[in-house]
Amino acid sequence: MEERSRIVLLAAAVRVAIAPFFMHAGDVGTIYESSIMALKGLNIYDFVSAKTLQMQNATGLPVFFEGYAYHPLLIYFFAPFYWVFTLIAGQGPVMIDGHYPALPVLIYPWTPLLLLMLKIPIILADVLVVYVLAGMDARKAKIYAFCPYVIFVGAVWGMFDAFVGLFLLASYLTSSRSKFLSGLFYGLSLMKLYTAVLLPLYAVRLYGRWKELAQFLGGLAITLLPVAYYLVVSPKSIWNVLVTFQGGRLMGGVNLYNFIWIVQDLIFDLVVSMVPTILLIVALFYLITRFGRKAPLLESILAIMFVYFLFGKVINEQFLVSIFPLILLSRECDHKIWVAPFIFIFLRSPFYYFMLPILWTSPVFYGYYLQADEVWRQLQAAGYLQIPMYAVGIAFSLLIFWNLLQLVDATRGGTASIPRVTESTGFQQKTTVPDQFRPEFQNGSGRDELVNRLMVALSPDGR
Amino acid sequence: MKLKTRLTLFFAVYIIALSFVPLLHDTLIAQSRWLGYGTGTYQYQNQDYFVLFNDPYDGSSKPHIHVNPSFAPAARVSLLEFSDWTSWVNDHNLFNEFDVTMRADPRILDVTYTRPEMVIHKYVEVSSDSVKVTLQSEKEFSAHLEMWRWVMSSINGISIKDATKPLAIPLTTVVEFTFEDERLQSLGRGRIVMSAMPAQVEIWPHEKGFNRITVDFVNSMMTFTVSGSMEAVGAPSQPWSYALLPYVMPIVAITVVALYLLVGKYGRALKNRATRRSS
Repeated sequence: MEERSRIVLLAAAVRVAIAPFFMHAGDVGTIYESSIMALKGLNIYDFVSAKTLQMQNATGLPVFFEGYAYHPLLIYFFAPFYWVFTLIAGQGPVMIDGHYPALPVLIYPWTPLLLLMLKIPIILADVLVVYVLAGMDARKAKIYAFCPYVIFVGAVWGMFDAFVGLFLLASYLTSSRSKFLSGLFYGLSLMKLYTAVLLPLYAVRLYGRWKELAQFLGGLAITLLPVAYYLVVSPKSIWNVLVTFQGGRLMGGVNLYNFIWIVQDLIFDLVVSMVPTILLIVALFYLITRFGRKAPLLESILAIMFVYFLFGKVINEQFLVSIFPLILLSRECDHKIWVAPFIFIFLRSPFYYFMLPILWTSPVFYGYYLQADEVWRQLQAAGYLQIPMYAVGIAFSLLIFWNLLQLVDATRGGTASIPRVTESTGFQQKTTVPDQFRPEFQNGSGRDELVNRLMVALSPDGR
Repeated sequence: MKLKTRLTLFFAVYIIALSFVPLLHDTLIAQSRWLGYGTGTYQYQNQDYFVLFNDPYDGSSKPHIHVNPSFAPAARVSLLEFSDWTSWVNDHNLFNEFDVTMRADPRILDVTYTRPEMVIHKYVEVSSDSVKVTLQSEKEFSAHLEMWRWVMSSINGISIKDATKPLAIPLTTVVEFTFEDERLQSLGRGRIVMSAMPAQVEIWPHEKGFNRITVDFVNSMMTFTVSGSMEAVGAPSQPWSYALLPYVMPIVAITVVALYLLVGKYGRALKNRATRRSS
């Protein structure tokens, strides 16, 4: 068996073996609940928006229900797998409630099967990333395939940032050959919305090359059709969920801003949360105008995302997965930064929380859960966990900052990559790729087969 | 100055400056006003009391009154907790059988409990000497309220030795209790003054002391004025408390930033030296 297949199969096997027994109840519960609604043809945004209004009315505060606040397309990646599950297990409830602070009721024997089915799309995304990377550099593919952090976020947690990672990687890899595909994949990467910060970069790089810009926007527009649909049928709900909620979130996460979690004053916190947003806009403007056109695309994407990681209000533990494949492709970045968000996961949520599907199988285990949770809550209430969380948050921000400086330094010094500028357009076609496969990648003979096939199939000009 | 140095300097200052936000908030903004956060929890902090009122999805701490000892102002010692889980109005459980909405102005927290046939307001007002919890409705209602503390050594002079079973104490509008705080090695005193004579006051023993005071009354309004104080018995050491976190955050930020700068400055040189030695 060739090495590429071996890595891919092993990556899939590890994930499939883990997936049925672990979950983050809140996040998997949201996907489960939303899949049910999607299959019933219900409006997910109406549900989330109504819950939010209910909470705001009850509390008198600008609080939000943390439900499905993603691109509408996302749920259609999960719903078919949930549908297959219902063919086997029927329509009965399997996970009841689970939104924080409630604990879910899990119905057996179906819970493990449900978890496996809902995680299959995430595992497929992970495996596709491994496949694409293995076509370029087996060592990097192995790092992604067996990185504990990546495995944890997808197979254990059930978070789907691997989709963003896959589509961002695909957008980058196809950008030199098909702007349409690049736009399409970029649009798909918007499933978690935070890659929206890359749109100005793409626009600036394609500015003046109107045909290519139109192709890119054409691809992007296709992915935005579901958003347009919801904007027509329930404009208030989708606006409330996607814009007001995402825009009005409190800063925090695995970054230097999580100190705000100890400032128990929502109105004040929201005002302070505007500080990084202002800096984000300034930094993006500076980077894009200064380096947007002249730096290689890979480094540009990473630099913009790093700036977002520094000045974005909310950086959750799993977000790094979205740029991890690109980090692996860059010579300037240190991929070991995954350690910080990985540690943070266990400071923010107790490890046993991810084991609910195992612990809920027996009243004895359930008892252990309650005992452990008592200790955890005491640690939380005393403030012991906030200190290491803040330290790790700052450390991660500084590591991101260091990587950003490496990129800026290399770009200014001209060592970041060997961009090839097309004579007619001046648009850089190739960006940094590891030395060992640069020649094949540049002349196309070693180009990843999957990407090639995709491009031939979908490219509007048939190249 | 090089761009890299300037950016590093800016970012270091940015991190450290922001780390002072909790302290500035605590000192300049957070005192003596109701603040909402989380999923709808409210808290009030002044020099003498810290009062927590949980969000509508939790029936405990409605409110939970803490006293700040003068010798350890950040210690927040639990004084008395009103529980909606275990309180009833007209035989309806306050947590499970009422819709709740909360509104706050800087001084008063107004929690409205609604059922089809009735509306009750619970007002919580904190001053420097007491916390007033008022239940008020347009119509007369019968209520069974439970107030918890783990645990009270004595209530109105009755100790655990005198009451091994739940005991209805002589009717009064004033309930006084004492408690000990092992952590602070101190003795605490609490006092509840009711605005009208209740129908019944019961005290509930639990292992080393009493953990509950239950009050039954029929009225259209009842105010519980709760006050408390702590008195140091031994030589209490300053214990760790959540309230000290705002002071710790700048220390954490400065330490991590300093480590980063040190590694940035000397890390490469050390690495090079180690590489040279090994080769």
